[in-house]
Amino acid sequence: MIPELIIALSVGAALFGVGLYGALSQTNLVMIIMGVELILAAALVNLVAFWRYLHPDVPAAQMFVLIVMAVMAVEMAVGFGIAIARFRSRGSVEMEEARELKG
Amino acid sequence: MTPQMIFLMFFGGAAVWFGIVVFRTHSMVRSALALLFSQTAVGVMFLLMQAEFLGVLQIMMMATEMSVMAIFMVMFMMDPGGMGAMDMTHQKRLSLWAGGIGFVAALAVIWLADWGPANLQIPDATEQTAELGRELLGRSMFIFESAALMILTAMVAATMVAIHPNEGRKR
Repeated sequence: MIPELIIALSVGAALFGVGLYGALSQTNLVMIIMGVELILAAALVNLVAFWRYLHPDVPAAQMFVLIVMAVMAVEMAVGFGIAIARFRSRGSVEMEEARELKG
Repeated sequence: MTPQMIFLMFFGGAAVWFGIVVFRTHSMVRSALALLFSQTAVGVMFLLMQAEFLGVLQIMMMATEMSVMAIFMVMFMMDPGGMGAMDMTHQKRLSLWAGGIGFVAALAVIWLADWGPANLQIPDATEQTAELGRELLGRSMFIFESAALMILTAMVAATMVAIHPNEGRKR
């Protein structure tokens, strides 16, 4: 049992829970993106904790963190691109109103 | 209890608390700032875990990202100041259950899994950064370049999606 690892992983679990709640409960696209950001932050905490306490000699773990950070940036860029397109065509980014693809 | 554990708990608690504030406040600017503080606390946790390069990168990147997010929120939200105290949530009970179950399941894995022996021999910051550089430009170069290409593609795609369809025809 490594107490520091347990603390870091527990923080990651809590961030994941909060992010999942936010991504599912919010109706606004920008707020949903915020929830997803929190979930990815949880993944980052876990990756750094695993690297630090289990495999500090493996630099590939840090590289993995950089990839997740790139995913965060991409997710925001694409999300905001969609938000602008949606706002221009419908005047709102409320996801309750986005039912075009619903069968 | 070591100082590292105390500070990890403090900044971890701050990250989670500000994460909760993101969805509790009605003001969108406060919401974006709360997410910035949450991500900064995560960055400080990286520094505490002696990942100096990643910690500084996280804080710098998130400060920029969240500033952009605050601008977008003010632009797109119906009530960015939160003066009307609008409720912008749906399926609250289901979301609470999903978040709670996700948290409890992750905690169960954390407590029940056998993580193996700790390896506390960590290289110093200079050596870590040098090793990361060698990794990025050596064995993982293809993955690193793919990430760069992914960002470039996303930038072009996001710009194309955001451009008004009749933008060119107006002139």
